[in-house]
Amino acid sequence: MTVTDPVFRDLHSAATSHRGDRIFNRTVTALAFTALLVLAGISIFLGAQAVPVLAELGPSYLTTTAWDLTSTPPDVGIWGMLYGSVLLAVIGLLIAVPAGLLLAVFMVFMAPPKISKALTSLVDLMAAIPSVIIGLWAFYVLTGPAVEWQQLLNEYLGWIPIFQNTSGNFLGTPFIAGFVLAIMMIPIITSISREVLSHTPPELINASEALGCSLWTMLRYVALPYGRGGIVGGIMLGLGRALGETIAIFFVLKIVFEVNWYNIIESGGGSVASLIVSKFGEANAGFETQLLLAAGFFLFLLTLIVNVIANLIVSRTGRMQR
Amino acid sequence: MSTIVFDKERVSELRKQKIQHPWRKRPRKFTFSVALAVLLPAAVAAGLLFGTDIPDPLVMILVYLPLQLVAAALAAIVSKGKHGIADSIIYVFAIGGSVFSLVILLSLIFTLFVNGLKAFSTQFLFQNNVYISPSTPLDYGGVGHAILGTLLIVGISMLVAIPIGVATAIYVTEVRGRAVPYVRFFVQAMSGVPSVVAGLFILTVLILTGALSTSALAGGLAYAILMLPTVARTAEEVLRLIPEDLRTGALALGSTRARTVMKVVLPAAKTGIVTAIVLGMARVIGETAPLLLVTGYSDSTVLNPVSSPISALPTYIFANVDQPYPNAVTRAWGAALVLIILVGILFVIARILGRGKVK
Repeated sequence: MTVTDPVFRDLHSAATSHRGDRIFNRTVTALAFTALLVLAGISIFLGAQAVPVLAELGPSYLTTTAWDLTSTPPDVGIWGMLYGSVLLAVIGLLIAVPAGLLLAVFMVFMAPPKISKALTSLVDLMAAIPSVIIGLWAFYVLTGPAVEWQQLLNEYLGWIPIFQNTSGNFLGTPFIAGFVLAIMMIPIITSISREVLSHTPPELINASEALGCSLWTMLRYVALPYGRGGIVGGIMLGLGRALGETIAIFFVLKIVFEVNWYNIIESGGGSVASLIVSKFGEANAGFETQLLLAAGFFLFLLTLIVNVIANLIVSRTGRMQR
Repeated sequence: MSTIVFDKERVSELRKQKIQHPWRKRPRKFTFSVALAVLLPAAVAAGLLFGTDIPDPLVMILVYLPLQLVAAALAAIVSKGKHGIADSIIYVFAIGGSVFSLVILLSLIFTLFVNGLKAFSTQFLFQNNVYISPSTPLDYGGVGHAILGTLLIVGISMLVAIPIGVATAIYVTEVRGRAVPYVRFFVQAMSGVPSVVAGLFILTVLILTGALSTSALAGGLAYAILMLPTVARTAEEVLRLIPEDLRTGALALGSTRARTVMKVVLPAAKTGIVTAIVLGMARVIGETAPLLLVTGYSDSTVLNPVSSPISALPTYIFANVDQPYPNAVTRAWGAALVLIILVGILFVIARILGRGKVK
């Protein structure tokens, strides 16, 4: 017979010895693993759809660029789409990283507190705008000026290979799609960079000012090196969002089944997520749907890897700062 | 070694002087040169933009930007000396980058209101889309069915995602089991799942297997996947802010762990939890891709959440965007305006509730 003396029960065992608490603890713990369950479910169920596709087509599904189901064996591959997704994301990053970082620097180190607060609200609002609305705006408003910019780029910088355009069609280009992605990445990059930069220890800033540093020197040698990890993580999170973006890209990019390697102002490009939406409507329930599900599986893997790396970087710098 | 001797008379004399803050004083030369550096390039650029027909982007990049940089650098040399040059350049770029982002945001909101208001009327908010073809005049038809559909789908996803999300947050902050770092990691990884993948997952598991037809329930489940990480992470932040004293106090009074959480911690964090829910709603309300895959499309008002296709605002916009009829496009703008107003309302609620609670 053992009676535990209540005095010696620590809080934790007290919490688990009561029956109601045990039930509560187990329920909460079980629910907390839903996230794992969903991630595992996505990998297993979409992966299971990818298996027959890879068995039928072999690795050529990942290395060719075609969508022809009428030939036997079907000539299908998503390489151009995967490459296109990355190309669009890189174009987006080239625009969004400078814009987002400069906006963050302006908010933290230059603007008066009131303006800085208002800008924070605006950036949050920008992050909350649904992508279908950004797509609608891009389709009807952005394309006009964007075509004009691209014509100018082609006219004056056309000797650089990436600005070549031989077809004269400036609609549905990777440049426009990348610009749209940049609009979605700017708020992510800005809010994380702002957060990181505003946590630069004030004693370091004061010390650099006391040493006679100008704002630029302080940024270059104190604030940016200090926040580098967090900023890189924020950029990676933006990248993850860009790779998974579907609807806005669907509106502004002409999807073609050729690899558009670098002609960013030439009409036509690729994106895995948009491919899924564009082909889903006409897909028959059998093999073609499976092909799209397999494409979704590889998209999931790509974004998962990018996001995990991003979160590791962000949380590691977070711990360093604490 | 030297000794500092206070001369008492001198001290009282010094006290009479006004405090001057010489470091705060900006010489008039500084203000003047900055004003000149801002106005002069702008005037030249404006003259070129309106006076000649050189394309606008060329004027901005080849004339205005270099001119502004040179002017800012000259102003810096005049007022601060050589060391000011780098500062002046970063000021120009930072303000330029901020204006770039703001112009995009303002253009978005402005065009949304200008185009969306053309479609607005009472019947646009309450009627549905039955018997409406893309070319029907704007006097008939509306997005009432889509608003209902959106509310239904978001409501279903809330029923699923809120209990699980809050439970995840409670696990991390209250139960504090051994798996906390892993749970947080999975929630973070889940927040990166693309919306189209969430849709494909529900499609494979429920619809292709025949367990469910395209319906609001399927859409709600897909939305729940996207909503869960937002709710869990925000709720976790909020629960972290609840003082530890409340918990130990409740336990010391003899309350069980479960009662402490349900009767003390959660009520104390009530507004914060509501903020988490609102942010989760704002996160999913405009998602289009999952709905295209799992809810289907309907022109009539659907209240059956289980077995019939249903429309929501995003799918309504999607269906009307690239129609060759201006009326259909105007309807899409109108629906987009309704959607952004819904997002804005959620956003304002979250701001008001979150004021002073979460940073």
